[in-house]
Amino acid sequence: MTTLVTTPSERTGPAGAPPRRLYGVIAEFETPGALMKAAEEVRKAGYRWWDCCTPFPVHGLDKAMGIRNTILPIPVFFAGLTGTTIAFLLQSFTNSWDFSIWALVWVTGYPFLISGKPLMSLPAFIPVMFELTILLAATSCFGLMFLFNGLPRHSHPLLANDRFRRVTNDRFFVVIEARDPRYRAGVTEEFLKGLGPCAVEAVEEEPCPA
Amino acid sequence: MSHAPAAENSMDSLLGTENTRLGAAGLSARRAALVLGVIGIGLSVLAAPMFGGDQGILLAKSWLQVFLVVLSISLGALFFVIIQHLTHAAWSVTVRRPAELIASNLTWIWVLFLPFAVMAATGKLYLIFPWADLEHLREHNPGEYDLVVKKAAYLNQPFFWIRAVVYFGVWAMLARFFLKGSLEVGESGSEAAEARLSKWAGPAAILFGLTTSFAAFDWIMSLSPGWFSTMFGVYFFAACATTGFSAIIICCVLLQRSGRLKGLVTAEHYQDLGKLLFGFGIVFWAYIAFSQYMLIWYANIPEETGWYLARQLGNWPILSFALLFGHFIIPFVGLISKWPKRMPKLLVFGAVWMIAFAWLDFFWLVMPVIPHDLAYATDYMSVVEAYRDTPTGLLNPIHLTMTVGLGGIFLWATLNRLERYPLVCRRDPWLRNAVAFENQ
Repeated sequence: MTTLVTTPSERTGPAGAPPRRLYGVIAEFETPGALMKAAEEVRKAGYRWWDCCTPFPVHGLDKAMGIRNTILPIPVFFAGLTGTTIAFLLQSFTNSWDFSIWALVWVTGYPFLISGKPLMSLPAFIPVMFELTILLAATSCFGLMFLFNGLPRHSHPLLANDRFRRVTNDRFFVVIEARDPRYRAGVTEEFLKGLGPCAVEAVEEEPCPA
Repeated sequence: MSHAPAAENSMDSLLGTENTRLGAAGLSARRAALVLGVIGIGLSVLAAPMFGGDQGILLAKSWLQVFLVVLSISLGALFFVIIQHLTHAAWSVTVRRPAELIASNLTWIWVLFLPFAVMAATGKLYLIFPWADLEHLREHNPGEYDLVVKKAAYLNQPFFWIRAVVYFGVWAMLARFFLKGSLEVGESGSEAAEARLSKWAGPAAILFGLTTSFAAFDWIMSLSPGWFSTMFGVYFFAACATTGFSAIIICCVLLQRSGRLKGLVTAEHYQDLGKLLFGFGIVFWAYIAFSQYMLIWYANIPEETGWYLARQLGNWPILSFALLFGHFIIPFVGLISKWPKRMPKLLVFGAVWMIAFAWLDFFWLVMPVIPHDLAYATDYMSVVEAYRDTPTGLLNPIHLTMTVGLGGIFLWATLNRLERYPLVCRRDPWLRNAVAFENQ
């Protein structure tokens, strides 16, 4: 078992460079089972800014970490409903009303009789209402997923860490960030070491480009 | 792995007899279903003259409607089984046996179609299938006759019965094949037997699609032989999905309430069954129903629109809108979220609701009659006025007695099968994956 914990005083870069800020601590585990147990403990200890990183989806990890369901479906539902409404208003205005509204410029509806159908023909509107519902729901789902996950993000302190590279292969990591209110230098490292990892390591923030 | 023996023990306890066999526990329910079934059918047949309707038309149509409901339940379950083998699905192994047993009703369901053979033998089939007697049709509805006579090469009695025999034969064969194969896998754990089921699932899906489509053309669409819709087979398939998936859900929940399948069927399985019911039974049904409606509405060709006109005359719009809301909008909102699908009590409520509205869907398909004088109508409003008081007959007691009757017989036969066979494919190579299955 190799354990490598650096303290802030040790974290000095090349001569003359200012010390880098601490991003957090990672603990490396060899099996999903060990990670699962560790995740339970970290959750019970009350940490909030922490995560688990694995090479493949580990079933039951969400539960062990105490992750709640995403609220994404709710805004997506209303985005879809918005699409339905917009499509209906757009079509009923352009096809069946002849007054003007101001939408950047004054625009006027253009009632036009098509194959003898009533001007306000809901069945003809439904395909467009359906499509716009799907369009807004799908794009908002995609966009909000990015937003909620803090994406796009082009770099991350963990990706600069050599030990962390095995997360894409055969190792399982718990990451506790330094901004967690319960994070205490030294104490959190000792806590993680008690969970049976094969290594614990501090990770620094990346240097800001000069 | 150190925890393997414990997992082995828990698997053995999950597969114990008390968890995977219904045994005689269903006996009283089965007897009650049989008694109710016999009484229901007896009442319907004996009291049909009192319930109104001339020459047994109401009786025959009501029988056909409820027959289609129980047929669609079996076909939907068969579709579920086929699609699981087709996709090599592991998650569904623990819920597949109830589906196989429901589908295996297809081996005897032809018995419920025999009354129409009796009608044909006594020359009465034309009462509900107007094409069965072209001379009669020419006298009473020349407008429709002109259209139907051109379809006589397909819509004639000998060919109709040949096709019916083929449909029932194919369904019985498929249901039997997948049940026997699954029982063999359950006994021996043979991967070769499992592979054989997967291999034949593809051709089975094609056979299933063709037979259900043409059965829908023959038994529902040809009730109004002048009318046609190429989508109608898919519409019937969507109805099968609605009732079939609902029945599988109800069956699993009831088995669990009687203390079976504990730990084998979990919230994860209910969520996936709920997804299938939501996707095929609610959304896909609405998609197909609307697509069919919109094309006919847009084209506005008299020989096509008559069918929908019959469903918007008199009191029929109430049922048409009841379908729109009860079969689509309300369950769409109700089952769209994850949590109701994961709560068996809510999901089973949704499943019962969907079967009720699928029943109404078949009522809406089978019962209305296109007015004979439609071809001579000069304008729409005069038709609407003339048929302003068309009743739907929904509250006629024969529909209740018939539903109890055929439904009771179907339930009796299903319970019979559930008691006879293990409720899970015990040695399926994928059983372990199914038990451990999680959605995320």
